[in-house]
Amino acid sequence: MSGGGPSLKKHDPHAHAIRVAKPRLMRSVPLRFVYNRVAGHGGRDPNASLNLTAFIDFLLVTVIFLLMSFSSSGEIGVDKHIKLPKAQNVEDVIEAPMVAVNGNQVLVDGNPAGSTRDIEEVGRMQKVDKLFEMLKRKRETWRSFHPNKNFPGVCILQVDRDVPALVVKSVFQTAAFAGYPNVSFMVQKRAKVSAK
Amino acid sequence: MGGVDVGGGDGKKAMNAEINMIPFIDLLLVIVAFLLITAVWVSFSRINANAQVPGPPDPNKEITPETPQKVLHLYIRESEFGLIWKQGSTTVSESTIDRPEQKGDEIMYPDLAVKLGEEWKQHGGHQDVSDRKLDQAILHSDNGLKFGEIVAVLDALYSTKREMALKDGKREKQPVFNMTFSVR
Repeated sequence: MSGGGPSLKKHDPHAHAIRVAKPRLMRSVPLRFVYNRVAGHGGRDPNASLNLTAFIDFLLVTVIFLLMSFSSSGEIGVDKHIKLPKAQNVEDVIEAPMVAVNGNQVLVDGNPAGSTRDIEEVGRMQKVDKLFEMLKRKRETWRSFHPNKNFPGVCILQVDRDVPALVVKSVFQTAAFAGYPNVSFMVQKRAKVSAK
Repeated sequence: MGGVDVGGGDGKKAMNAEINMIPFIDLLLVIVAFLLITAVWVSFSRINANAQVPGPPDPNKEITPETPQKVLHLYIRESEFGLIWKQGSTTVSESTIDRPEQKGDEIMYPDLAVKLGEEWKQHGGHQDVSDRKLDQAILHSDNGLKFGEIVAVLDALYSTKREMALKDGKREKQPVFNMTFSVR
């Protein structure tokens, strides 16, 4: 309530300094293009927002593809001295004893089982005794672990492409005599080329 | 960035939440990097062979003489391949095809593959879809022949395929030949 006397306005000593908040910067420059730029009219916003949705979708597809093709069993152990031949009409590798044959020796799962040079020196097909014993032992071990199953008789030969046929045939027949008649040769898969 | 609109407005406090996607993208990138590093890029495969070792005869079964099956004898010679179909000791057909000289590591015999396909269509004994047996091929080679050459011939041998009805009723393309080495 005010009295009958003259109203007394409260004097604010900072009234010249404190003003309502609003854009003021460079407003005093009396040029239109400066005003437009300051007020945000007429020019493009320099901050561009990047749409990440497509990028995330791509990453998700890549992750799913790689997870589907991921194998926890790791790479199949191939002797580093062996250069495998290439072939097109092939099948997938299965779990079986690996017999590696390089220019010097025969190995069963990495353990020496005979000499390639000895077979070459004899000059005729022969049974590789140590290989025979090792494969036979492996077969008996398998049978003791799986008494009610039929033995598949599969073994895989990793043979260097420069090894002569005599050695291949000798190892092949030795494996067959040891109870592994279904012998497979490991190869590198070659991409199919279209017929001429 | 990703946001979730859960209403709000009408003077109330806005309920829109912004999800920070940066850690999620970082996680995805780390998974991609890990899987790429641990991936196995070299693919190994196998080519089948069969040593044809006969099992012991079943004493409960009566042995009946059977007509011998036709067998393809494939000879790898110096400058040609010899293809001889035999039924027992009788020669049914005989033909040859040139063996082209191969250089480098990429050994292939596409002409041999075509010829083997034609020969099988003419003489193959197991061509019916329900027949699960394969025609036998015996490979004769010089003892000094390199294994790379043998695999190239095997590759040509297994290039001819036919439809075969499997035990579960499905049909699958299978090679028409099963290979073994000549013992001599």
